[in-house]
Amino acid sequence: MHKVVTVEVEKDILSANRKLADENMSLLDEHGIRSFDFLGAIGSGKTLLIERLIDLLKAKGKRCAAIAGDVAGDDDFRRFESHGVPAANISTGKECHLDAHLVDHALEKLPLHDLDYLFVENVGNLVCPVDFPLGSHKRVVVISVTEGDDMVRKHPAIFAFSDVIVINKMDLSEAMQVDPDALENDAMRANPAAKVVRTDARRGEGLDELLAALGI
Amino acid sequence: MHEISVMSEIVKGIIDEAQKRNALRVERVSVEIGEYTMLGEEQLRFAFKVISKDTLLENAELDLRTVAGTIECECGFKGEASPASDTPHRSVPVLECPKCGGGARTVGGRECVIRDIRMVVPDV
Repeated sequence: MHKVVTVEVEKDILSANRKLADENMSLLDEHGIRSFDFLGAIGSGKTLLIERLIDLLKAKGKRCAAIAGDVAGDDDFRRFESHGVPAANISTGKECHLDAHLVDHALEKLPLHDLDYLFVENVGNLVCPVDFPLGSHKRVVVISVTEGDDMVRKHPAIFAFSDVIVINKMDLSEAMQVDPDALENDAMRANPAAKVVRTDARRGEGLDELLAALGI
Repeated sequence: MHEISVMSEIVKGIIDEAQKRNALRVERVSVEIGEYTMLGEEQLRFAFKVISKDTLLENAELDLRTVAGTIECECGFKGEASPASDTPHRSVPVLECPKCGGGARTVGGRECVIRDIRMVVPDV
């Protein structure tokens, strides 16, 4: 004979990633490393911003490393390496986001005892990374004026759950007829506690403000 | 976009529980989805149908419930965030404290929990 039973489980599927993220942060803390993960759409300028910050910090004698996350290829990884810093590449293959487990493996490839700052560049995606914290100290979301002035309204969650919001490619705002104030207002509404910074990564403008927003 | 991978984890978790009890089949699964996750109900239902095929879960009822998000503010407020009135289609409420207007932080609504599983087991 058979019977029907209802079993209470209480298993949180997303908590496994959060637990690994906490472990990543503890590992970084043990080594005194401050880490930042960069989110944003494809082509928003995440890689170039990180490259600029690496150069600035290197000039100040700081030791940096970067993790490049992409669906395929090692283009960003090679760009980071060309700045003379340790780098690790993560090709997600099929997944639309990095997760804490992938970052954990990338950390194994980096000289953690010899670092001050770590930058983690996520897959270009404004939706999925929201559900997968990686264990970094601050989350940075980068948008560029070329994405249009309704970008924040279309993807409120990623802005709500980030610490720093960067509006990049400021030099193109006039050509694009995009009002950066509109972007900033939307960003502040989505997340009143976030810091908003305007940059022109190509010309290296706004980087000191970005460093300050990151607490560096 | 990641509903398939999340649902794969859910189905795996349920099959583990069912196998522990030698279940013949699973009749119903209750899953709670936090309001602030980026998981879509329709996509989760579709993924469930596809992934549960040819398993103990095939044809099981999927009971999906949305759990309201909650926020906490330094001023002492703790409760549900109110969506901005001029943006009815927002997937995420503005994280503005309804009491003091300051920046609040989320304390609930980002989970995806298998709550309970109804299954047919041998009566021994």
